[in-house]
Amino acid sequence: MDLTTIIPAAGSGVFPTLVFVQGNEQRVINLDHSPFSVGRKVDKDLVIADPRVSRDHAVIVSENGQFSVLDQGSKHGTFVNGEKIERRVLERNDRLEFGVREAAYVIFNPQHSTTNSAREFLSQISGMQLSQETTDLEKLVIFLEAARKLNTVGVLDEILMTLLEGTLKLTRAERGYVFLKNEQGQLRLAAGRNAKGEPVLEDTTISHSILDDALRSNSEFVLTDTSRSADLVGRNSIVAYDLRTVICVPLRKPIVQATRGAKDGTTAASGEAMGALYVDSRFASRDLSSVSQDILHAIATEAASLIENARLVQAEEAAKRYQQELAIAASIQQRLMAVTIPEVPFARLGGRNLSCKEIGGDFFDAVNTREGLAVVLADVSGKGVSAALLAQMLQGMIYSQLTAGMQLSEIVTAVNSFFTHKHIGEKYATLILARIRSDGELEYVNCGHIPPLIVSADRVERPEHSNLPVGLLPGAEYKGAQVNLKPGDRLILVTDGVTEAQDPQGEFFEDSRLEAAARKGTLEDIFTAIANFCSGAPLGDDCTVVELLYTGSKGQKTH
Amino acid sequence: MNLKMETRQADGVTIVSCTGRIVFGEESNALRDYLKRTLSSSRSIVLDLTGISYIDSGGLGALVGVYSSARSQGADIKLTGLGPRVRDVLQITKLVTVFEAYDSEQQAVAAFKRGAA
Repeated sequence: MDLTTIIPAAGSGVFPTLVFVQGNEQRVINLDHSPFSVGRKVDKDLVIADPRVSRDHAVIVSENGQFSVLDQGSKHGTFVNGEKIERRVLERNDRLEFGVREAAYVIFNPQHSTTNSAREFLSQISGMQLSQETTDLEKLVIFLEAARKLNTVGVLDEILMTLLEGTLKLTRAERGYVFLKNEQGQLRLAAGRNAKGEPVLEDTTISHSILDDALRSNSEFVLTDTSRSADLVGRNSIVAYDLRTVICVPLRKPIVQATRGAKDGTTAASGEAMGALYVDSRFASRDLSSVSQDILHAIATEAASLIENARLVQAEEAAKRYQQELAIAASIQQRLMAVTIPEVPFARLGGRNLSCKEIGGDFFDAVNTREGLAVVLADVSGKGVSAALLAQMLQGMIYSQLTAGMQLSEIVTAVNSFFTHKHIGEKYATLILARIRSDGELEYVNCGHIPPLIVSADRVERPEHSNLPVGLLPGAEYKGAQVNLKPGDRLILVTDGVTEAQDPQGEFFEDSRLEAAARKGTLEDIFTAIANFCSGAPLGDDCTVVELLYTGSKGQKTH
Repeated sequence: MNLKMETRQADGVTIVSCTGRIVFGEESNALRDYLKRTLSSSRSIVLDLTGISYIDSGGLGALVGVYSSARSQGADIKLTGLGPRVRDVLQITKLVTVFEAYDSEQQAVAAFKRGAA
């Protein structure tokens, strides 16, 4: 068995380990590739900085399922358990020394972790000779136990290989394959091994007609002796290559047992076939029909559940990775929302965001420019990572153009032509870009966003001025608007997550409630009103509210 | 999925009636695919939104996307049956200036006839 080919991805815990001890320090190294080099040179896998260690001192290689250490002509020699060696097969707990004695040494694969014992279990079984003392069935049971332990590590390829090797040993067949159905329901080769343990690929000598028969039939396994079957004449590959015996075991999804009290006759219930285990022998010297039915029964019942479990673990890992990526995107999004609000003597700005479960495309930003304090609130269509990415791009573009002192309508025109030119699909953003000068003149441009609220002492205004959203239609024209604020006036910007927040009965928060809350109080009061309204119903979309209070230009010099 | 679409012919114009919600994801994808298929056999479509209770930003994106590709192929989609919610959204986003919207299906069909004449 070539260990390098079945070593699974890093971190699965099934590698042998090296424990490197130098002085008081101890380090565990996964022996996850071969050859593994040791020496004084910095490019070695294990670097030992000691003059007695040669630059290229030794390598550890994996061969036939075992690890050996090879001296590379070092000056001070390589030692295993105190004995100077040129080459030595390593055993558990062997002590390796490279030139330097005592001060630094390596222990090979000490026994400590449970996953290592599963790994060892497997290698024991692979190396086991078919002796008289243990029955084949007992060995299979041991194998399945080991495989089940491995399953917790969740490496489908390794399960398949071990399953094949175990089956080949037990049946003494020449070669074996595992076929698994892909999403389209077609059988695809997942693993192949011959009796020597070498990987084999699919070839024309595999009888697909037998595979198909086995999948269609309700039987646990199909054992076909072609020399005795008259109806197989039409099967080209069997005739052409004179195959003698084929064992084909359909791998069916395990069915959850029905209640015990159910009527008899349901015992034969079998799940949907997800693939097949196929072994054959080409020569009359090995008649597979003598293989014990008990063994085939055991393989048939256990193999499928092993694979199903391994697949579940794989799916779980994929889901975990996806979750991690989402978490990264969410943290980027949160940092975008964490705006450092510039302090200006004539206005106070505040913003707050309440995120729903999924990552959204809301963001707001504030920039102090020579032309005044600028604020932008945007809502990118859709949800998820793509919306967050677009939000980040948008924020960057707007920020740089604001600091460059461009006109607000020019900025959104540029953003629109950039996004429509890039053909980013149907993603677009609604946004409000506003800038207030110290004298209270507020200019703003609304691009398809919910109208802002301008709250004065006695009333709330909702200016109707609007433009198309950005990124939706090429060549759209954008016009700004202007209003003069008096000290104490407030500009309130919201995203539609606010007006579309729903109560448990499915009613929307609506503009009327928003206006009432804005008239009564500040940012916090608006959020309290939303929370009270929703009374525990989950948010469907991000809620963002930005409030700009114009305090007046007291103390400001007028030019 | 919470969106149903039905097609019938009226005076050489294809009427697509929608019922449900046009929202980001499954529904907006379904609307886009359905209209694209319809556009392969018809150049004049009236989209009847009477049964649409809600459209979100993703749904709007799909609608504008299909509309743009229809126009670039020389076809046209006119709207009718805008409920208050849909009308509000089109108003806020100024998309009322992009789409032609009519109070009734007959008016929308007649507008196609006028254009063809």
